[in-house]
Amino acid sequence: MNNSVKFITATALAISSLSSQAEVRINGFASIVAGTSMDEDKSLYGYDDTLSFKPESLFALQVSSDLGDGLSATSQIIARGENDYDATFEWAYFSYAISDSTQLSVGRMRIPFYRYSDYLDVGYAYTWVRPPKSVYNLTFSTYDGASLLYTSTMGEWDSSLQLIVGSFEGSVNVLSDDDPAKLSNMYGINWTVGNYWLTARAVYMQADASISFVNDPDPTQQLNQFVGLLGAIGATDAANGLLIEEDDGSFLGIGVSIDYENFLIDSEFTRVEVEDTLIATQNQYYISFAYRFDEWTPYISFEHRKDENDDDYSAGLPTDLNLGGGPIDVRAAYQATLTSQETENDVFSVGARYNFHPSAALKFDYTKRERQTSDASALSVGLDLVF
Amino acid sequence: MKKLLKLSIACFALLASTASFAEIAVIVHPSNNAELDSNAISRLFLGKLKSFPGGDQAVPINLSESSAQTKEFNKNVLKKSGSQLKAYWSKLVFTGKGTPPKALNSDAEVIGLVSSNPNIIGYIDAASVTGDVKVIAKF
Repeated sequence: MNNSVKFITATALAISSLSSQAEVRINGFASIVAGTSMDEDKSLYGYDDTLSFKPESLFALQVSSDLGDGLSATSQIIARGENDYDATFEWAYFSYAISDSTQLSVGRMRIPFYRYSDYLDVGYAYTWVRPPKSVYNLTFSTYDGASLLYTSTMGEWDSSLQLIVGSFEGSVNVLSDDDPAKLSNMYGINWTVGNYWLTARAVYMQADASISFVNDPDPTQQLNQFVGLLGAIGATDAANGLLIEEDDGSFLGIGVSIDYENFLIDSEFTRVEVEDTLIATQNQYYISFAYRFDEWTPYISFEHRKDENDDDYSAGLPTDLNLGGGPIDVRAAYQATLTSQETENDVFSVGARYNFHPSAALKFDYTKRERQTSDASALSVGLDLVF
Repeated sequence: MKKLLKLSIACFALLASTASFAEIAVIVHPSNNAELDSNAISRLFLGKLKSFPGGDQAVPINLSESSAQTKEFNKNVLKKSGSQLKAYWSKLVFTGKGTPPKALNSDAEVIGLVSSNPNIIGYIDAASVTGDVKVIAKF
């Protein structure tokens, strides 16, 4: 924490002293969210049945320096409650305004998966306590690379077209919360078009995905052993159909937002697929309605998520492999492994935002998640600030 | 909570009643011949448009957030509440896509800046207008 802050202060000072035109701006945002699960022994979004502030609270500072002639440097340091408020640089990039309509950025930036990706952490910028998690479910959000942003106007329509290229290295959650992952050759196109009441958006991205199973929390390591067994009996295709090694990953997102006469509708659909791997193909959407009464904005949301595994390489596998300890139905075990990654849920939320201060909003939320196996619900109150 | 709500309603009513008397003048340098309608002015102040119709760079200047002029301008020209506007700018500021116009403290400061720089566009209480600036719209 100290080191990051010292570094950034030093950087800021160095920049301001080196360039006579440099202008350093510091902005910040914070969210303090308190929540609790409504059921004993069940947790939702990191909340158990005791009141907790940690899972979603955060504090962030952004330092940007305008270096003149269209060049600027921006960095964002975020301290998250879920990481014991250890501060880390989540963004650090340079931007260059090639023209009034074209901006090139390089460095570490947000991946534009979702409509609210760019300001995912800036709670003040949206109505909910949190964006709908069934859709906003990818746990990594930044990449290293370049982004080209082209903005234009056609009559009363504003268009913003973004092309990205880069890579990601970090942890994701497939088996554990900390599975080492690498996304390389990442390309994406993100187009948003809107007028004064309607905004529509489409995004498509692809990358070569590699995710290691080394951190599988299963004490018996069944998955790794099973992959080993498949290799030993020469079922290479089947083994590769589980492993995530430079497999084709893709992300598709479509969204619509309406803000008309204080009536707000938001909806997004996303599809995430990593072909020929253990990972199930995810399809999910949400729709949210809200109405702005002066400073109060009540909302309701409905979310649906379904993960299904359709890459099945079990056809040629033996059903009665005998290694000495009795016959093993390898085909059934393979299918069960694929099925273990499938899930389906519905989520209902009701809540409200209250603008009690020009720079701060209070939010209240009740969310219930239903799965075939069990339901869970949580109550949360959040305070969002920008400064 | 109830008290807070009552207080905020009272404040809101008070501000709304005082603000409704102020007429807002949008001003530029006397040499600036730009013709801008309310939509174009709104786009300039929201950072969606960065130059005057003639192609010269346009730099919008605000008055402070709490001033009656700004409240009236936000309501009548930008058609957004203070919180909506703050949320709008948060989205741009925290993604490196834009920064809100700088804010000055008084009509006189805005007049001073506008009269010395043809790229500046500002708004003030119409009653404060002097011969040093040109009014291009009133709301």
